[in-house]
Amino acid sequence: MSVWNYVVTAHKPTNVTHSCVGNFTGPQELNLIIAKCTRIEIHLLMPQGLQPMLDLPIYGRIATLELFRPHGETQDLLFIATERYKFCVLQWDAEAAEVITRAMGDVSDRIGRPTDNGQIGIIDPDCRLIGLHLYDGLFKVIPFDNKGQLKEAFNIRLEELQVLDIKFLYGCPKPTIVVLYQDNKDARHVKTYEVSLKDKDFVEGPWSQNNLDNGADLLIPVPPPLCGVLIIGEETIVYCSASAFKAIPIRPSITRAYGRVDADGSRYLLGDHNGFLHLLVITHEKDKVTGLKIELLGETSIASTISYLDNGVVFVGSSSGDSQLIKLNLQPDAKGYYVEVLERYVNLGPIVDFCVVDLERQGQGQVVTCSGAYKDGSLRIVRNGIGINEQASVELQGIKGMWSLRSATEDPYDTFLVVSFISETRILAMNLEDELEETEIEGFCSQVESLFCHDAVYDQLVQVTSNSVRLVSSTSRELRHEWFAPAGYSVNVATANATQVLLATGGGHLVYLEIGDGLLTEVKHAQLEYDISCLDINPIGDRPNYSQLAAVGMWTDISVRIFSLPDLNLIKTEHLGGEIIPRSVLLCSFDGISYLLCALGDGHLLNYMLNTSTCELTNRKKVSLGTQPITLRTFSSKNATHVFAASDRPTVIYSSNKKLLYSNVNLKDVSHMCPFNSAAFPDSLAIAKEGELTIGTIDDIQKLHIRSIPLGEHARRICHQEQTQTFAICSLKYNQPSAEDHEMHFIRLLDDQTFEFISTYPLDQFEWGCSILSCSFSDDSNVYYCVGTAYVMPEENEPTKGRILVFVVEDGKLQLMAEKETKGAVYSLNAFNGKLLAAINQKIQLYKWMLRDDGSRELQSECGHHGHILALYVQTRGDFIVVGDLMKSISLLIYKHEEGAIEERARDYNSNWMTAENNFNLFTVRKNSEGATDEERGRLEVVGEYHLGEFVNRFRHGSLVMRLPDSDVGHIPTVIFGTVNGVIGVIASLPYEQYIFLEKLQSILRKVIKGVGGLSHEQWRSFYNEKKTVDAKNFLDGDLIESFLDLGRNRTEEISKAMGVPVEELMKRVEELTRLH
Amino acid sequence: MVAPAIRWVAPGDGASKLLANLPSRGLLSANVVSSNLGGMRVYICDHDTAPPEDQLIKTNQTNILIRSLMLKNQKSDSLKKDAKGSTANQVSRKRVADRALEGKAAGKKAMSSTQLGSNQERSQSSVPDKDLQSLTVEKLRALLKEKGLMQKGKKDELIARLRSANG
Repeated sequence: MSVWNYVVTAHKPTNVTHSCVGNFTGPQELNLIIAKCTRIEIHLLMPQGLQPMLDLPIYGRIATLELFRPHGETQDLLFIATERYKFCVLQWDAEAAEVITRAMGDVSDRIGRPTDNGQIGIIDPDCRLIGLHLYDGLFKVIPFDNKGQLKEAFNIRLEELQVLDIKFLYGCPKPTIVVLYQDNKDARHVKTYEVSLKDKDFVEGPWSQNNLDNGADLLIPVPPPLCGVLIIGEETIVYCSASAFKAIPIRPSITRAYGRVDADGSRYLLGDHNGFLHLLVITHEKDKVTGLKIELLGETSIASTISYLDNGVVFVGSSSGDSQLIKLNLQPDAKGYYVEVLERYVNLGPIVDFCVVDLERQGQGQVVTCSGAYKDGSLRIVRNGIGINEQASVELQGIKGMWSLRSATEDPYDTFLVVSFISETRILAMNLEDELEETEIEGFCSQVESLFCHDAVYDQLVQVTSNSVRLVSSTSRELRHEWFAPAGYSVNVATANATQVLLATGGGHLVYLEIGDGLLTEVKHAQLEYDISCLDINPIGDRPNYSQLAAVGMWTDISVRIFSLPDLNLIKTEHLGGEIIPRSVLLCSFDGISYLLCALGDGHLLNYMLNTSTCELTNRKKVSLGTQPITLRTFSSKNATHVFAASDRPTVIYSSNKKLLYSNVNLKDVSHMCPFNSAAFPDSLAIAKEGELTIGTIDDIQKLHIRSIPLGEHARRICHQEQTQTFAICSLKYNQPSAEDHEMHFIRLLDDQTFEFISTYPLDQFEWGCSILSCSFSDDSNVYYCVGTAYVMPEENEPTKGRILVFVVEDGKLQLMAEKETKGAVYSLNAFNGKLLAAINQKIQLYKWMLRDDGSRELQSECGHHGHILALYVQTRGDFIVVGDLMKSISLLIYKHEEGAIEERARDYNSNWMTAENNFNLFTVRKNSEGATDEERGRLEVVGEYHLGEFVNRFRHGSLVMRLPDSDVGHIPTVIFGTVNGVIGVIASLPYEQYIFLEKLQSILRKVIKGVGGLSHEQWRSFYNEKKTVDAKNFLDGDLIESFLDLGRNRTEEISKAMGVPVEELMKRVEELTRLH
Repeated sequence: MVAPAIRWVAPGDGASKLLANLPSRGLLSANVVSSNLGGMRVYICDHDTAPPEDQLIKTNQTNILIRSLMLKNQKSDSLKKDAKGSTANQVSRKRVADRALEGKAAGKKAMSSTQLGSNQERSQSSVPDKDLQSLTVEKLRALLKEKGLMQKGKKDELIARLRSANG
């Protein structure tokens, strides 16, 4: 690893923290706005569903999100406050389709203790002021003037120090807040205050209520005409206003989120900590509240936010499981639930642990995460690239080409699959039993190689061989017409569509034929100066069966030419540069934009935007897909066109938001591909690999693929064992809270293909699995799972007892081989020189694996090292041990073989909390080996600092992508991390020159790409904790750098000028970085 | 709070009635509600995002106590001078503003005495406001001592402190 780091997000945060509904993008448009920690998503509600509009990256962790509408506005504004005390007010400018900043500011105070219960940001329903509770004992007010503009903020002293919730009351002549707080005897009360903007102070409010439910921690303000507030406790719900007080008991539960259903505030949805959804109804006679009612509606993910959308459809955002779109039904289902889950949105957060494995042994890592919490716990398999779900395969050697054909022009499905070999052509067809069997098309010539086949109009089929073009009836299968190549010339390359055939013979002859009913007509002939290497007439114009353009790749001058059809006039010659000939050209159109793709013999792909009327080629881009010649072919999946590039590293090219994207297919060495949409295998592809023909369907076309394995319990640690093809996890299951053993902990063994539990070892009561490791010991050939545990007793602050358990997998069962009691929690286990290194509370302990006289084995303590607070994370390399301490940052230890002792070598004297950087920062340290004195050498020097804005739970070496030895990024070491918000990120360690280059690019990009809401990127990435704030150092923000690719042409040129590097070169260098994840 | 006996209704009983007439504006009304939360356009913001100049909001840094004193002064002054007409009122504002500057400088010291001050709000011996100005610093200090307040600071501060103690 070098000290120059590049941090990039491979999987964006998915943990939904806030959501709201309002008219943000237009007076008539209803939007759902979702906050996912550092991103905001805007959706539009349509009759047919939710339509995604925008994904806004925010330079800050979103603490509060509110929609509001100042007087005189026709649409809502969005108020966002970040955890680092910045706020902004955003407005959507529909004309420019841009988010504009109405106001922003810094709301931090120099003194003040940040609140324990999170930041509160609220807006007066009559838009007189914004209230913020950020520090204990202070309430910040940002007043509005009567034009809806914000004025200077000021603080008001708030007597209540332990505030649980604050909300504005509706229908008050003066802005009035209601405060739910806890006194120093732990009793909970509510109090109201009027905010006097003139005096900049509180005035005692109209009412208060003492001694509420001990678990009360949520206030719901009720809109007019009822007004007042609902106080949600753990055992009661209370309605309170100046004139009324109503209470109902509820089944003990902690309400996590609420959503208002009706505008008049008579019904609310409440989501509790077990994922149960309730309906709370305020019964009233006119404006007088007569009582409360609550009903259980059903089960959802554990909600962190609930937004009622429309027509009984509700968005349930979750932090601990998948977010959901649910429908409230009037009639209960068989389980008695009124909730129907319409859609689930994948959420990986919180990623508690993960491991990187290569299950398919293709050299491509997959990440298996322990995701979710409580009942929503699951394992997620995150894989880069597109998978092929194999449905059938046969052994077939030496395939030279493949085409699918229909038995009639109007037939929606393909019937025949033509497979061409070096000296024959074979035809496969689906028989009545839906099996693929060999058949014959009499009119086809089967003794020679086919160069091209295609369906043609009038129920005909076309076959091009080296000496003729045959037109065959697809019904009678008889030859109807044949065109012969001139004597002495053989056809080298050919292409066709339903009405046209274009072929090239030796000597640079280009021949154009048109297909009639039983007739092939030679329309035009052209003589070119060089031989032709590839051709394409894929129709991209208005006519689906007829192309007005032909693309022709040339030998010798290495060019691509575009001819008009039918007259074969040369319109455009584009020299490709270099010495590698084009092997495959393709005309295609994505999202209404036409492209010319041209694949070279060395695995590079060039793409141009093609203007179909002038044939101008613009926006040339070159990417490296593999090392072997590429064959291009279009196919469609889910009504969208994609291009399959078959090579040693097959790739699917697709378009998203008018930008071409490349996603690798998880297969090796594909020589040919053709779509084969048969009745039995709809939407399938036929793929020719090394000696094999496979028919399979393709995954959704997207970059990362996530498979979920719901566990119904909370997995906390995971580890893979290659030898036994198993995973082992430490998990905990929550039972009924009333039950004696309401938390049960297990070690579970899972098959690494099916992910089924195959063996379970229950831990003792109160015993938690803390660490897990697959390892082997010196003088023992077996592979073991070692598990470190802790007895978590309710009365102890820190565990004082734990165990190390050593298991072997025998016949798919976990067999306990040895067990060793420890004097504390075993937070970490590492294999170390054939021994086991454990971090036990404040101590690092090394164990030997000893053979006893009776042949059994045991762990025997060898040596240890004291002097930590809590050694949470341990990593080893060689004889070196790195310890991450709870409070005392990082220290470096060394194991001395001769003495059998562990000594400290160096440490970082900053006292960073190491629960994976409590303040969402990353930092790197270096051992200062050149130091002049022992003291200097004993210091770990901080070399890099960065604010990630994410809470990292685990780092692991590995990579999500296949590493090609030839690509520039193939040798860059990477570390993957997983966070609480479900982010999977990559830290790449760059060579110095590249770092300098990208740093310059980043600083230019900072000036071009502005932070939404005027938030500064530089400030956002600066290292920040209670003691200091310093600029990021030796870390680059890959997300910012890679957004270069999304910029418009003008901007990229501007940047290219500032960098002094051509646009194409910049594009290539940045695109290469995207291959890291 | 008198709680009726807990009657937990199993789902299936009454929710149907309560769920009637859910609000609807005709959105999400298709039989199959489709949605796709992935594949969203990532917003790249290359226009200027700085807010309008006057909408870069800062917090008033005046100490809360000082501010409240100032406001109180202002109020009492304006009450007093209302009789004298609006011109005098403006003059008094100006004076308050001047005073505010001083107050800011001595903000820290004043703060430490705040709590005491407010606790003593209802102590008896009080000198009428307008007389305070005429007293010497020595006398003011004596008064402060009598109330158990801090005796340090400039005359204006001493007066302010006494005033706040007097309520």
